[in-house]
Amino acid sequence: MPYKFRGGVHPNYMKAPQEEVVVITPPKEVVVPMAQHIGAPCQPIVAVGDYVKMGQKVGDNTAPLCAPVHSPVSGKVIKIEPRLHPLGDLIPAVVIENDFQDTPCTDLAPLTEEELKDPNAIFARLREAGIVGMGGAMFPTAFKLKGGIGKVDTLICNGAECEPYLNGDHWTMKLHPEEILKGIEIARVACGLDKAYYGIEKNKQDAIDLLNSLNPAKYGVEIVPEDVKYPQGAEKMQIKAITNREVPPGKLPADVGCNVISTQTAYAIYRACYEGVPCYERILTVGGTAVNKPYNLQCRIGTSFQYIAEQCGGFVRTPRKIVLGGPMMGLICTGLEAVNVKGTAGILFFTEEEDRTVENPVCIRCGKCITVCPMGLEPVYMHNYFKKGDFENMKKYHILDCFECGSCSYNCPGRLPLTHSFKTAKLLFAAKAAEEKARAEAAKKEAENK
Amino acid sequence: MKAREITFDASYQPQVRTKTGTSNIMLDVIIALVPAMAVGVWQFGARVLALLAVSVASAVFFEWAYRKLMKKPDSIGDLSACITGILLVLCLPASAPLWMPVVGTFFAIVVVKQLYGGLGKNFVNPALAGRAFLFFSWTKLMTDWAIPNALPAGMAVDGVSMATPLSLMKAGEVVSASYGYADMFIGRMPGSIGEISALALLIGGIYLLAKKVISWRIPVAYIGTVAVLTVVFGKAGYSNVDWMMCNLLSGGLFLGAIFMATDYSSSPVTLNGQLLYGFGCGALTVLIRYFGGFPEGVTFAILIMNLCAWAIDKATRKPQFGVTKADVKAAKKAAKAAKKEAKA
Repeated sequence: MPYKFRGGVHPNYMKAPQEEVVVITPPKEVVVPMAQHIGAPCQPIVAVGDYVKMGQKVGDNTAPLCAPVHSPVSGKVIKIEPRLHPLGDLIPAVVIENDFQDTPCTDLAPLTEEELKDPNAIFARLREAGIVGMGGAMFPTAFKLKGGIGKVDTLICNGAECEPYLNGDHWTMKLHPEEILKGIEIARVACGLDKAYYGIEKNKQDAIDLLNSLNPAKYGVEIVPEDVKYPQGAEKMQIKAITNREVPPGKLPADVGCNVISTQTAYAIYRACYEGVPCYERILTVGGTAVNKPYNLQCRIGTSFQYIAEQCGGFVRTPRKIVLGGPMMGLICTGLEAVNVKGTAGILFFTEEEDRTVENPVCIRCGKCITVCPMGLEPVYMHNYFKKGDFENMKKYHILDCFECGSCSYNCPGRLPLTHSFKTAKLLFAAKAAEEKARAEAAKKEAENK
Repeated sequence: MKAREITFDASYQPQVRTKTGTSNIMLDVIIALVPAMAVGVWQFGARVLALLAVSVASAVFFEWAYRKLMKKPDSIGDLSACITGILLVLCLPASAPLWMPVVGTFFAIVVVKQLYGGLGKNFVNPALAGRAFLFFSWTKLMTDWAIPNALPAGMAVDGVSMATPLSLMKAGEVVSASYGYADMFIGRMPGSIGEISALALLIGGIYLLAKKVISWRIPVAYIGTVAVLTVVFGKAGYSNVDWMMCNLLSGGLFLGAIFMATDYSSSPVTLNGQLLYGFGCGALTVLIRYFGGFPEGVTFAILIMNLCAWAIDKATRKPQFGVTKADVKAAKKAAKAAKKEAKA
């Protein structure tokens, strides 16, 4: 039985696109951004005019925290220039002209039986294949699993998919159940553990039944059906639901002995180890009232949003917002020429219809934000102190514990920009800390000079 | 449609919001008040409708006029002024002159609510503060209880006004001799327009609970505390249970516990704080009824607890996620030791 966490909301799940997953042909021009992970950005290792194969490494960096990127198609490198990254900045990218041959690259051979039991071989493969957290955080998986060795006693695969709209994970479970279990098994073996848990929300009962029919115990995996409640899929809530451990403020899951990987990451791990295919493809959900036909797409990395929208029948109304990921925690993208990256779980094109902001948000002190906060915070007071710029009290009210799930803003009848303020406040805190550090260093230097 | 031609909005998450807005909540409260208003009209006639109309109209007018004069964004659309107007009438006697709600809503809307910043900023319940203001200014008019249309069978009355069960209790008379529990529950007794029928108020309360406008904490803690205290500390001439029932069903307890004490902006927001606040309201109500100069204590109990709401909030915060009680104790101990060291 999963443990319960406090708070949470039940948004309208909007899991509309239930038809088959549509496989789209990659576009004529594919853009591979050099930063698709947390850590040092990659350097291009190909030159303009080079011919690259599908799955060939095109960017890497010797820095320890890095995940290489691969070409999703075969074709010719036509440009290496800064392009709009979905998260806002202009980031160097390798632009490849697709030759539509999909000639596969054979640099990575499937791992042998022995290698599949050797953690070091697995870590090396995960790194080479550029596997990152595909739930959206894009943290290099090899680094995460390796860092947990010795500390971690529980491996959790996150199949909650609690965000509205998104059902790419659900489809991955239905289409590749055995592969996912094998992927979790590899991660479990790499961590040196006997057992892993796979938490899935009960609204995906068909997937739970399918996975259970494959005897998950054979792979050392236990399926845990979880309550349907947002943010069940948040890392801290997932850990709480399965182990009843709470991650202390400012600490990482590994500090309470847990590591969490996402469903599509497990699938990517399987493909990298069993098939020798690096991470250049994923299932994502396209939704929102602006697009003609919302779909689940199996889509190569580096496909522009404009092209993706065209594949979904184009726009029926002018989109006002492009949301990357789910609507609760998803970030905003500002241009259709941006491309999808490894962590893009969904692309939502929203119009005015989804917008419920008002001109003069007024707090009526109803306390609904407090009842839904999964971290047990008091958004109503945090917001008041934020408006006053009272940093001391913001800290006292644990504003830094907020992980921006958006439940308070979602539930606020006065339409206050709660999550927005907390995110801004956290940035201000970070800036302040950096400033203080710089000042301390300057003072230290001065003292030394004297 | 070319990519460059469209500009996109940017904002932090979340990008979706629940349908329930402020005005939906306020409309639910108005709907929940309909049974109580209906009982008022049934018992005291069309005069109640006139009072309601004057009160709501003046409340909305004052809200609009103040915001206009002060060049603030208009706020009558949130419907909170309507609620203040209705609630004020519900705690007036039916014989109140028509100018009375006008004065009351002026005090409630302008002095109590808008001067402190409007909706969500008032630290006491505007309608109750308005009633308290009228009560102290025109005590005689405010305690002149009109004879309701329906009374318990066989009760003979003469004159134009009569004493409420609560004032009879204060005078030491045994109320249950003349009023059955059913009479008091349905509202066959004199009293303020909206307070007489516990049944109508309960229906409204259940509606609010079902719509998740209020939580059960404040009303249950409030009414429960009154029940426990009155059953434990009985009164001569009554059996303890009889005394409890009379205390629960007479006066403004249900109106106060369900609609007044749960006012968002003047009650605590933490869950444990709401329980504590309910206990406080209940205890003060009983204290005033037992030892105070007036028969009724609901108004002042709630107003006093309103003033404590923020302090209660600060005292009843939830433990931080991922921090156990032992951690908190250790941190306190460390802080103490550090202080001692600094002193030494």
